[in-house]
Amino acid sequence: MDELEILKKDWDKDRANFKSFSGEEIYPMLQRKSSSIVKTLFYISLGELVFWLLASILPYFLSSTIREKLEVSYENPWFIAVNIFSYAVILTFIYLLFKSYKTISITDNAKRLMEGILKTRKVIKYYVIFNLTMIFLSVPVSFYMEYQDNPDFHQMISEASTAQMFMVYAVMVVVAAIFLLIVWLFYRLIYGILLKRLNKNYDELKKLEV
Amino acid sequence: MNKELEHSFVEQLQKHQNIVHKVCRLYTNNADAHNDLFQEITIQLWRAYPKFRGDSKFSTWMYRVGLNTAITLYRKSKRRINTQEFDAVEFKIKAEEYDDTEEQQLKLLYRAVHQLNDIEKALVFLYLEDKDYREISATLGITEVNARVKMNRVKKKLKTILNP
Repeated sequence: MDELEILKKDWDKDRANFKSFSGEEIYPMLQRKSSSIVKTLFYISLGELVFWLLASILPYFLSSTIREKLEVSYENPWFIAVNIFSYAVILTFIYLLFKSYKTISITDNAKRLMEGILKTRKVIKYYVIFNLTMIFLSVPVSFYMEYQDNPDFHQMISEASTAQMFMVYAVMVVVAAIFLLIVWLFYRLIYGILLKRLNKNYDELKKLEV
Repeated sequence: MNKELEHSFVEQLQKHQNIVHKVCRLYTNNADAHNDLFQEITIQLWRAYPKFRGDSKFSTWMYRVGLNTAITLYRKSKRRINTQEFDAVEFKIKAEEYDDTEEQQLKLLYRAVHQLNDIEKALVFLYLEDKDYREISATLGITEVNARVKMNRVKKKLKTILNP
């Protein structure tokens, strides 16, 4: 006899002593907090938005030197354009995140539910990549602006030998690369742990289609 | 209105709670984990309940939410304490028609099922619940042909686990 048939016979008997919950026990369960990955993902994405927003706004309020510099920069139309652009991007991301959260439905079939979650995770990923790219680009741009606007710095660079300039560039590239690597690893770790099971199960379902 | 909704939900869940227990039984292997998953499935069912239209049976709707929670959404929570694992059958030994060989065989079978991966367990669960391939494929989001193929593979895998 088929193994599953033997199991089925027992399964139907319902002999297992499950603790049957009474209504009084079920009511408080409805009030408890969920520990689902969608909820965690939601908090992570909210955290990301707040973090990157604060990272761009806080320096202005915390340091008077930075504030002065930024106020000067605001006279540059390019700087204003970049700012408007980045706020537009943030708003777009909030919209996309909201939209993809809305599509996650527990009553979808398993595969579509997983795809919805993975899509949301992708939106968050793109947002992170966008922020990291902006940071990466801001290093040479601020270097250039400082060179243009700060006479002391201008002179220092002009007097530097080729070897010294090479060193400056090398340090800049290495620091930026290390920074990006750390952030990237951090994200890999968070999402790796959070979505490990989902990814495994999604791959299993996908494998069936080949 | 909300109280009314809550009341009808609790009533329905209480009546059909065995389905949730059965999902927990396949996906967990100790009492704490079982209760934790039960709790999470209950929350997910309750959240989805306002959209439950009654055009499908409450029990059918429960299969989907229960399995989706177990396969996709569930994360082991911190509130769970690790206790000694039990075999699914061990705690029901006081069954009336106690038969040692049958009991032993079932124990091995449940143990083998626990070694399957999440998707394979879902197939076994739906099969044990007497669902046809159309419903299995609709629940998991795969084609009927693939559901059949996979089911045959699961049966073979179970045989290999039992007779290595």
